[in-house]
Amino acid sequence: MTNCDSTTYPPSESAGPRRRLAAAAMVFIACACGWFMMELEILGVRVLVPYFGSAVYVITGSVIGVFLLSLSIGYLLGGWLCGKLNAWTLLGAVMIAVGGWQCGIPFFTEPVCNRIFDLGLDEKWGSLLASLVLFGAPTVLLGTVSPTVMHWLTQQASQSGFNAGLVLATSTMASFAGCVVTAFYLVLYSLRATLCISGMMLGGLGIVVLLTMMIWNRARQGKGHPQ
Amino acid sequence: MKKHLRYTVLVGMICMVWLWPAGSVCRGALYQMGRVIHEKNSLYNSIFVYQEGSVVTLRFGKRAGLHIQSQVDIENMHEHLLEYSKLMFCGLLYNPEPKRMLVLGLGGGVIPREMRYYFPDLEIDVAEIDPDIPPIATQFMGFKTDDKLKVHVDDGRMFIKKQLRRKPVPKYDIVILDAFNGDYIPFHLMTREFLKEVSGVLDEDGVVVANVFSSNRLFDAEFKTFLDVFQRCQVFFGDLSGNAMLVSPGAKCEVLTVEEALDRAEQIQQTLKLSFDLVEVAGLLDPEAVPDPKARALTDDLAPVNWLREQDTTSEKSAGEGR
Repeated sequence: MTNCDSTTYPPSESAGPRRRLAAAAMVFIACACGWFMMELEILGVRVLVPYFGSAVYVITGSVIGVFLLSLSIGYLLGGWLCGKLNAWTLLGAVMIAVGGWQCGIPFFTEPVCNRIFDLGLDEKWGSLLASLVLFGAPTVLLGTVSPTVMHWLTQQASQSGFNAGLVLATSTMASFAGCVVTAFYLVLYSLRATLCISGMMLGGLGIVVLLTMMIWNRARQGKGHPQ
Repeated sequence: MKKHLRYTVLVGMICMVWLWPAGSVCRGALYQMGRVIHEKNSLYNSIFVYQEGSVVTLRFGKRAGLHIQSQVDIENMHEHLLEYSKLMFCGLLYNPEPKRMLVLGLGGGVIPREMRYYFPDLEIDVAEIDPDIPPIATQFMGFKTDDKLKVHVDDGRMFIKKQLRRKPVPKYDIVILDAFNGDYIPFHLMTREFLKEVSGVLDEDGVVVANVFSSNRLFDAEFKTFLDVFQRCQVFFGDLSGNAMLVSPGAKCEVLTVEEALDRAEQIQQTLKLSFDLVEVAGLLDPEAVPDPKARALTDDLAPVNWLREQDTTSEKSAGEGR
């Protein structure tokens, strides 16, 4: 199995120190995205409850349901895109887009939720639609991360199982940590500030990934390495 | 062998010392509430109904230390067994002849049932999120609905939002906030934005009465939130329980001095012949009460309710204010 990114950063020599460093960065990105996804999900409940109440449909049906649906679409999309795009470009762009969206949520929650409430939809379908509008797109994008990272890590078919297990295990552990930290501690702080700061952190990470890739590739070109 | 015996006796004694108070607490609780006559796992609560003699108690969950939601003596329905339901009548001191009342949180239905009894023409809307509570209140606690007393199975905030969308918006003379989950009031029913919505359905001569606990920092935050939204807020501190009533009058309704409260209570008592002494309730008004100056109002954005609730202020208050 050949890697679609083998001709660009990072170098494709198997198990070289650079490759190992890049692999660690990939796993770190999967973990960061796992963390921020759960943070968004838990804060999502707090975002919707003032507009649609704390009925069980809002929390279990709408928020969790929309996250699961969006993730499954994201997995499909990620599986398709990772064969077409440079993994680092894709991940950087996803993190910037999701971070930006997250920063915007506090600003468009009120108009979106009020508009949906005015449509006369009840708490079930109203909260489901609001959840879809507010959290659908960023969760679809976050869903593309795991397949992209697994694809990049896998250079031979025999590694695929181990890599899939590694990515799923580490990112799910990070999701667990994000879940606990958000539910126990971050909810004590301003919802708007938490969403914006987290969004900026995720977007910042995306910018760092893109910049590093650009600098690295330029350095390699300068040294006369083939692109 | 002797050594083993000594250890066994020691461990046994430690166990006894540890279990003794726990045992007494359990016995005390069982004695007060009796045996479980009904239990139901609803969408929101583990509902337990206890009965001891003619006294029926409603609780959410079995954990020791949980609050009793409601208690009724089915042979003497008008007796108030818990202090908070008497305290809630303090709203009458501000509006003695209510025409329409809204109650958030049904529980055993004591407040709407009693208000309906004393005011036969009063129209009452109750919003209760848990669909399993109304049948239990009806079956075990003597509550019943009729054409003027309606229960809406809905989140309190959603019910008010829906009322605000109606044209004209229905106005209430008394709004009672008594929605508790197992532990405390859900955060979205404590915030500034929520109270603004409440003020939208409150008549100018109306009054909002909220049942809260006064022993933690959350009380100060709630008090501050009421002041922020309604500008005025008075407090009735229960003397038998940790309950307190936050009372905010509508724009055309006056705040009361203790003397005025006592006078009005006496008049109302003579007219209605309440089963308890409203004058005693009026005497619990603390017109000097102010929230802690460091307290911040709760908002949809920032409502650290669990953390504030864990900050006990009982010792500070008893040292500082002699209460």
